[in-house]
Amino acid sequence: MPTEKLQHAIGAIHVRFGGHALVQAARLPAALPWPTGLPAVDRLSGIGGLPRGRVSVLQGALGSGKLTLALAMLARATREHTHAVVIDRRRRFDPWIPDRLGADLDALTVVRPPTAAAAGEAAVALARAGAGFGLVLEELPEPALAPLESAAARSGSLVLVVAGGEQRALAHASSLTLELERVGWVPDRGRHVGPLSVVRCVKNKLAAPGAEAELALRYPLGPRLPAAEWPREVEREPAVVELWSDESAAG
Amino acid sequence: MIPHLELSRRPELIGRPAVVDDGDGRVLTASEEAAAAGVRQGHTLRQAEALCPPAALVGADPVATSRLAERIAAELSEHAPAVEVRLDGRAWLDLTGIPLPGRAIAGARRGLRAAAGVEPRLGLAPGPFAASLAAARARPGRLLQVEDVPAFLSPLPVAELDLSAEQLERLDLLGLRTLGAVAALGPRQLESQLGRAGRTAARLARGEEPLPLTPWRPLIVTGVRCQLEPPVEDREALLFVARRLCGDLAEKLGASGAGGRKVRVRLGVDGGAPEARESVVRHPLSSTQELFGLVSSWLREWRPAAPITEVTIEVPELEAAGRRQLRLWMGGDGSAEEVRAALERLQDRHGTEVALSVRRALDTSPLAGQRYRLVPA
Repeated sequence: MPTEKLQHAIGAIHVRFGGHALVQAARLPAALPWPTGLPAVDRLSGIGGLPRGRVSVLQGALGSGKLTLALAMLARATREHTHAVVIDRRRRFDPWIPDRLGADLDALTVVRPPTAAAAGEAAVALARAGAGFGLVLEELPEPALAPLESAAARSGSLVLVVAGGEQRALAHASSLTLELERVGWVPDRGRHVGPLSVVRCVKNKLAAPGAEAELALRYPLGPRLPAAEWPREVEREPAVVELWSDESAAG
Repeated sequence: MIPHLELSRRPELIGRPAVVDDGDGRVLTASEEAAAAGVRQGHTLRQAEALCPPAALVGADPVATSRLAERIAAELSEHAPAVEVRLDGRAWLDLTGIPLPGRAIAGARRGLRAAAGVEPRLGLAPGPFAASLAAARARPGRLLQVEDVPAFLSPLPVAELDLSAEQLERLDLLGLRTLGAVAALGPRQLESQLGRAGRTAARLARGEEPLPLTPWRPLIVTGVRCQLEPPVEDREALLFVARRLCGDLAEKLGASGAGGRKVRVRLGVDGGAPEARESVVRHPLSSTQELFGLVSSWLREWRPAAPITEVTIEVPELEAAGRRQLRLWMGGDGSAEEVRAALERLQDRHGTEVALSVRRALDTSPLAGQRYRLVPA
């Protein structure tokens, strides 16, 4: 009978690939949000934060502030998770910004794989192991993206990829894609101290996409800010978040 | 006798006041230096901090500690047929019938010194209770031999007996403050006061040693095997079989609380000599996912000379491994142990420089490279 054959096929898939390989849609857990501490960004996601167990992407042109924003989220993640991991194959990660934003460096591990394939392997292995927050600073090879999605979904790891331009395979793997575009600079006493960027939700599998917010991504100049005071948020039109304050920058 | 294994496995704490947190905010054990300041097991961490402010606070790691206990037991079993190792740092060797007990004691001393980094205290007595009390009173690296057990036990306080605080208080109210007094009262009388524990306590106080050792048993070689008829060429089919075998093996390992330190896969090939591959892993593998992760990576690259007639997966070297329930908290943070194991596997494959921890160096330096040091995680 067809039903028996179907049950047999389902059983075979469970044996071959494990119980998570085939789940009834009604039993799929809802994506849980991880609040970033930046209400404007949390609102863009539609669920109140970046989705756990999914791959999220920050993309934008050079100088749009995507890396600064990602590092701000990383700093928060180190204080909330036992393990926050940065995949940094090109060795461009400097702990200075997250440290200035109050990161707990003991919870931070930097992974520098020798090749792109190894970067993909590392991202999948760490997502599978359940690292609370994984920040990927490069575009991963296409074959690693599907296992990465699957591994993150099974462990509940939050994976955030910072991408320079649009990568078709990454766009498919992403559950939430935020695009940053620099529309100006944040001026301070005649200097530019960070980009003024518009963040758009260009893809969202969990809620309606299309929302946007304006962020003043001030670079963390000056002394280290106590974790309890971060982030300092100033509402403007339509929504502006400052990652750094005038008072602390002056010190 | 060596310090509690939670302390012994941390050589950096030797000679320093240290307190081990049991995970519930209480003291699991304290180093001699902290104990001298009054810190006792069961104190809250706040009490411990008040009593000994400079004490280093470290978290308990039951899995690492049980692994150390296994290593010590394996080492001691080289010198005596029956050994017992407890996590509190006490270890016993049954020297009954051994032709050269002095040599066995010297070997055990060397083994314990290597494991703990400090000289052990040694006690020699007809039974485990008297021997442990003798060891506690020996100087580091020295052996205290008890010849007259009742005379040795008699002046010792009743606190040496494994009794609850209420039972000890009851003994105090009865005026029984030394083991000699308890021994004089007799098992039956003490049983009427304290129940079964009282009977055991009285017999211990008399030197009768009613509690025998629980001998350590070495972990045995474990393996699973599957014959394939007809011989299999298809790699997917081989992976299918391997996954099932890994599941069976993980069940066996789980039943004995062990993990595979060395993994070996043997393929019987049609009409030829069997092919084998083995590897030592840094972190003991105990779950289906971990075993299949390693085995499947081999099978995907394997080019057997002929169709496969038999698959065998063995773990010739075992190690105690805390049985981990993976994904217990779906959607939450992964266990530190799993992530550490994943990082170790990456370091095994690509070198230690692949996973790095961040340490502050000259964080006010204008040069990015000088602000932080990245050291192997």
